[in-house]
Amino acid sequence: MSGLHLAILGGGRLATRVAELMTRTPAQVRVWARNPRARETLRHAHPKAHVHDDMGAAVADADMVLFAVPAEALPEVADHYGPHARGDHVVLHACRGVGPGFTLPHAAIRAVTCVRKVGALGGPLYFDEASSQRPLVAVLASRYDEVAEMLKTLVKGTPIKVHTTMDVVGVEVAGAISNVAALASGMADALEMGETSRGVLLTRGLSEATRLGVRLGGEVSTFSGLAGVGDLIPRHVSSTRRHRDVGGLMAQGASLEGALQSVEGCVEGVATAREAAALAGRLKLNLPLMRVVNDILEGRAKARPALEEILKLDLELDKEAVGSRA
Amino acid sequence: MRPEDKERVLTELHSRVLATVSRSVEAGKTRPDEVLADSIYHEMRRLKEDRDSRTVDADRAFWNRARHEMTRASDRALLDLIGQAVDRYGNEIAGHFEPRLYDLVTRAGEPALGLLLNAMSPKRILADFANLPSLEDALVVQGELEHIRRLHEVGTVIVVPTHVSNMDSIIVGYALYRMGLPPFIYGAGLNLFSNPLIGFFMRNLGAYTVDRKKQDPLYKETLKEYATLTLEHGYDNIFFPGGTRCRSGSVEKRLKLGLLGTGLGAFINNLQRNKPNPRIFIVPATISYELVLEAETLIDDFLKEVGKSRYIITDDEFSRPKRVFDFVRQLFSLDSRIFFTLGRGMDPFGNPVDDEGESLDPRGRRVDPARYVLRGGKPEAHETRDAEYTREVGVRLSDAYFKDNVIQSTHVTARAIFSMLRRQNPSVDTLRLVRQGAERDDVPLLDTYREVERMLTELRGLAARGGVRLGPRVADRTAEDVVTDGLRHFSIYHTSPAALRRGDRVFPTDRALLLYYQNRLEGYRFEREEGLRPVLTSDHRALGRGGAA
Repeated sequence: MSGLHLAILGGGRLATRVAELMTRTPAQVRVWARNPRARETLRHAHPKAHVHDDMGAAVADADMVLFAVPAEALPEVADHYGPHARGDHVVLHACRGVGPGFTLPHAAIRAVTCVRKVGALGGPLYFDEASSQRPLVAVLASRYDEVAEMLKTLVKGTPIKVHTTMDVVGVEVAGAISNVAALASGMADALEMGETSRGVLLTRGLSEATRLGVRLGGEVSTFSGLAGVGDLIPRHVSSTRRHRDVGGLMAQGASLEGALQSVEGCVEGVATAREAAALAGRLKLNLPLMRVVNDILEGRAKARPALEEILKLDLELDKEAVGSRA
Repeated sequence: MRPEDKERVLTELHSRVLATVSRSVEAGKTRPDEVLADSIYHEMRRLKEDRDSRTVDADRAFWNRARHEMTRASDRALLDLIGQAVDRYGNEIAGHFEPRLYDLVTRAGEPALGLLLNAMSPKRILADFANLPSLEDALVVQGELEHIRRLHEVGTVIVVPTHVSNMDSIIVGYALYRMGLPPFIYGAGLNLFSNPLIGFFMRNLGAYTVDRKKQDPLYKETLKEYATLTLEHGYDNIFFPGGTRCRSGSVEKRLKLGLLGTGLGAFINNLQRNKPNPRIFIVPATISYELVLEAETLIDDFLKEVGKSRYIITDDEFSRPKRVFDFVRQLFSLDSRIFFTLGRGMDPFGNPVDDEGESLDPRGRRVDPARYVLRGGKPEAHETRDAEYTREVGVRLSDAYFKDNVIQSTHVTARAIFSMLRRQNPSVDTLRLVRQGAERDDVPLLDTYREVERMLTELRGLAARGGVRLGPRVADRTAEDVVTDGLRHFSIYHTSPAALRRGDRVFPTDRALLLYYQNRLEGYRFEREEGLRPVLTSDHRALGRGGAA
């Protein structure tokens, strides 16, 4: 295996987990973290990783740069990385959300850097499985073969199994919308609306993700694969759990602010619901679940009656998804 | 191409194409007999249909001999036969360029167009020379002229124009000449060389031949490699990325990327050879006509059913000298302008470049373009990666075309009438509306003014935001003026005008032409405000690229 150089940008949970996995491989691992406390924790937990507060030093010899930050922090970190970016860098991100104006993560990175070889990580990515030596499965979407080649080289010998696709838009939309579906599912669970309701809401979420993704240039098949359905099924992936918890708290009457404070980590689905609802209006797309979740989050609707309205709607997945492209 | 370079380029062409074939053979992807058999199959098929070709007998003799010899040839002898085929193709493609003749032609005061028009019909030299319109006044060359001149000094430039008419290559050649740039070379369809005189001039104005009837993969490889070599030798090029004239009249959105990719290939080769000036720049150019010479033939071809449209059209208006002459004279009699707009240059990865030719990132910081092609620290070609880079360049080019497209009165008038017809007949499919008409087939003049007024407001807003350019008659005239000018243009040239005013109503007398001219405004999403769906679906766009694509 290679002595590839990996630069991880971010000091949160994902950065920690990736550093933990990758320092077990021959790769040279550097981590950039802005927060001094996060740097200290990383240094202590992963002595093999070189931890930097200087972006230039972190990415200087990098072959691959991984953005291990949530979507809301992505533009700022990408902007910080921009002056040090190089055309031969392979860049990955694991964001599960979108930026203002429904900016997809790859577009946010491309908007401020010279890099071309960008890949999006999707699928369940349940890092807790790694500690029990179970396989960890990810979808990598990139239009550049070299991204998949390098990632496969990098993770050789680890429990990570990588499935590849060229559908960057599809994987990013599926990942972002699955968090909104998780919010809705958490609400339904808290209101004890039953397993059936949960199934219907998740299916509706998938349907809307497909419709939106196809409209933005994604492929239908992505949403029925690991990055779509495969991402919705696991219930204990940490980001899904966070979203379900926030949804549950809001359904029980908590304020959005209060709900967000009570969970650790970022809840990207809140901004995604807002942006998806706004985009649906601009594109004249019918995305009722996005609208309803956003209304509930912003206090304009009560969770139970709003979700009950959603449950009454027809579900014609493929027809709606494909028809929206015309 | 200069005579001193031609021999060197042809020798290198031979060895490079053979090296490519040998690599495929070594990789087990093909065998020499398969390559040759493929060539023989495609060429024999072409020769069966292409009886007009002046080299048909010699071609047939060569391929018959190859077929005969290949049955008992060793691999080495087969490669030798392939090499002979490459040489034949190379000699046909390579233009003979004579700089002294170019100087003479372009210094004549009435260069390019006048001479070419005369060349098409030598008798006219005596009869109509004095009446030939002057391109000098009719052509507006605008955009990033100084920037492009600078790029020409620091690297090799590929100008990539939109393509709606066979007049385009003349327009581009003349515009670049007027900018004070040395001649660019470009690939022109073999059919344009069929007239010996026009062929002579085109060659000497920098054209090399592209025979689109040749489907042999070996020919395509030779052609691509030839273009790459000219770039490596520092020859500025013109590529028409649509591959053929756009049939629908719309701004090209999806471009053929094969030839465009040679820019990146040349850049990588230059880096590998440590050339002191390796940079290649790609420059979008948008040509906008108020009327298009071949509009009737092109839209007619577009409207044929999928699969029946022709990729190569040889019997259109451009092949009839009188038609060209009348077109130019009448167009210019109305003070019409042809706009040639050059956009900012970009590198082969789609990054913008500054006046020194340095690549820039989205924040305007300089970046090293060589980094994009490093593998294991060395510049190296990589098929799928490079195809993706070129696809991005295609997207940037198309964006530039939309921004630099100059909207003129014919486009706005046609769009207004066509949109009103569509709204008047909501249950009729657009293409059926064009082919068969509808019950309500005319529109009130006053409503046309109102529709144009609405469109002008929208267009002027978009132009202020840099999303499109407006011709002088659209930029600040009233809706009445625009409609009057549009209808006047429609009436002067086409066999049947696109639309006619009778009293207080406007009649679409040629709905296909109306579609053609209104299509120039497709792709800007105006239809949302018009309460309509886009006229052109992705199927139509594929068809608009020439059907066979």
